[in-house]
Amino acid sequence: MKSYFYFLLPLLLLIVSCEDDDDPVSTEAELSIAFRGEFGEDDLAIQSATYDYPTGEQLKVLLFQYYLSDLELLPADGGDAVRLSDIELIRWMSATEGPVATKTYTVPTGDYQGIRFGLGVKPELNAQDPNNSPADGTLNENEFWNASARYVFAKIEANADMEGDGVFDTPLTYHMGSDALYTTITFTQDFSLDGSNDPQLTIISDVLAALSDGNNTFDISDADQQRVHGGNQAIASDIWNRLANQFELEVR
Amino acid sequence: MRLEGIHPYFTIVVAFCHCLYRLFSSFKKIFIEGSPLSSEERAAWTSEQTRRVLRRSCAAKGAGGEVSVFIAALLLLLTACQPAEEPVLIPEPEAFASIIYPSDNPTTRAGLALGRDLFFDPILSADSTISCGTCHQPERAFTDGLEKSIGIYGRVGRRNAPGLTNVGYLYETLFWDGRADNLEAQALHPIAEANEMGGSWPLVVSKLRQHADYWPRLQEAFGLTAKKELSPDHVGKALAQFQRSLISGDSKYDRVERGVDTYDELEALGYAIFFDLADDPDGAFANLPTGECAHCHTPPHFTNQRFFNNGLDLAHDLADFDDAGRGAITENPFDRGVFRTPTLRNIALTAPYMHDGRMKTLAEVVDHYNSGGQYAENRSANVFPLGLNPRQKAGLLAFLQTLTDTSFVNNENYRPLQLSGE
Repeated sequence: MKSYFYFLLPLLLLIVSCEDDDDPVSTEAELSIAFRGEFGEDDLAIQSATYDYPTGEQLKVLLFQYYLSDLELLPADGGDAVRLSDIELIRWMSATEGPVATKTYTVPTGDYQGIRFGLGVKPELNAQDPNNSPADGTLNENEFWNASARYVFAKIEANADMEGDGVFDTPLTYHMGSDALYTTITFTQDFSLDGSNDPQLTIISDVLAALSDGNNTFDISDADQQRVHGGNQAIASDIWNRLANQFELEVR
Repeated sequence: MRLEGIHPYFTIVVAFCHCLYRLFSSFKKIFIEGSPLSSEERAAWTSEQTRRVLRRSCAAKGAGGEVSVFIAALLLLLTACQPAEEPVLIPEPEAFASIIYPSDNPTTRAGLALGRDLFFDPILSADSTISCGTCHQPERAFTDGLEKSIGIYGRVGRRNAPGLTNVGYLYETLFWDGRADNLEAQALHPIAEANEMGGSWPLVVSKLRQHADYWPRLQEAFGLTAKKELSPDHVGKALAQFQRSLISGDSKYDRVERGVDTYDELEALGYAIFFDLADDPDGAFANLPTGECAHCHTPPHFTNQRFFNNGLDLAHDLADFDDAGRGAITENPFDRGVFRTPTLRNIALTAPYMHDGRMKTLAEVVDHYNSGGQYAENRSANVFPLGLNPRQKAGLLAFLQTLTDTSFVNNENYRPLQLSGE
């Protein structure tokens, strides 16, 4: 027993001496932001759901993704925005995934009046080459077009049944992005964070709303509008503008 | 070097404190944080010899007890102070984002050399006839030229052997169906596969424990102190270290990217088709068809590491696929007939092609994609008829040839060690 004493006493002293002092009052909260994908009134389901298109066709969505830059909370007192993230890639690409992707951030507690982000890759990051990003990083080579076209800001891919025969054999691919398309989106809505009973923030994006706003529907029967990639962004701007305008913030 | 004015004992005290701190960290992790230890710490802590001495010392009676305890503590300290072997820094091309090395398996000289020898040694197969290198031959960019690989007793494997060029850069799941999370785990599969190397890990481990050369090298590479510590994981780690060294970055494509070489006319045409330069309506290639290749075969490794159906088989129902591919792993019906995008680096050396080796030549592959493939509702939306004419197809083939890196396939470091006299 004495032996244990001689051996353990110094260790216990070491352990005790290295423990943190009293915990300070927490001024930070864990904020989870849910990103929910939808197609019209329905949750977005990759491949497994069949969606009606306003002009009569049916779609199976294979991929929906978009970059967000400078995701920020806006303090109620008008102070400096709280940066949550420089860049995020929000993506639905597998039938094994649900409609909600969640990201968690540590933020100061307090009152806020809204949230802001840039849709796309902000110019200073869009100018960087992917080999400067970690191989598994958000800005790796997988979403990089080439040295001149840079990163793909958003993608919508689907297979369409154009003839109503149950065969989804018309591919639709919309790959959008350029510095000119980068768009800042701001939501104004009050909420408070104190680390307990914090509201759930959900950013909702609707694939259908990017293709059709009710009055104007992107014509997917036009063969020239079934594939928009790379430098051919004139056609994409139609979808992009709707995509940028359709985001919603839900605070509950 | 000795600093003037500093008493030599001061250095000893500092060193002792450092060791004490490391020991404290280990104890704290075990008893307070409950977190897993690093491999070095685990090796130190699990040192049978040290623990045995400690048990004996603590059990000691009489006047010598305290002394024994002190010795035991000192032994623990010394174990904690053993420096881990320095990781080897393998040069990488600037154009590549760096390899992500796992924290519990940095590449070391001992591990790399061991991994290389194990890779080419048939000792890992049940009947000692098949090595990793049997199906992953360096001169074929680590493939075997067969539709499906041949394992022990002439058994035919399920799929085509994938190339290993730059495999260390791939951080997503591995195999055609993504059933391994990383290289360490991947390396364990073929050895346990009945149609490949025979499926007897206990036998392999037993052979390595008794091996006059491998056992001490395993000890050195992974800090093993007792034979019973050897596990398949150590073999997987050694093989992964070797595979992470298989770096190719000097193909003609790479040289053109670096600005030290240029494509000929046909290669340039193929490059434009591969990378969809026609998407730029104001560009020089505006009237070309697009190949849509780089969506999935994304440079610099020419794979986005994801899973797609590329239209190989007609499937009016997703249940129709003979080989479920990714679907067999995820058990999701929409993943049936879906396979991992392979790298195209050194693709000209890795015939035959596709997961089942059904296409003998690259020309067949280009024809397949030019046709748009066959229908399945989960076929990639980037696979559709391309409308390439013969010259454009030839251009695409010429560009694919520029992905061959002869310095890679001829690299002596990637081949079995040739002993003098062999």
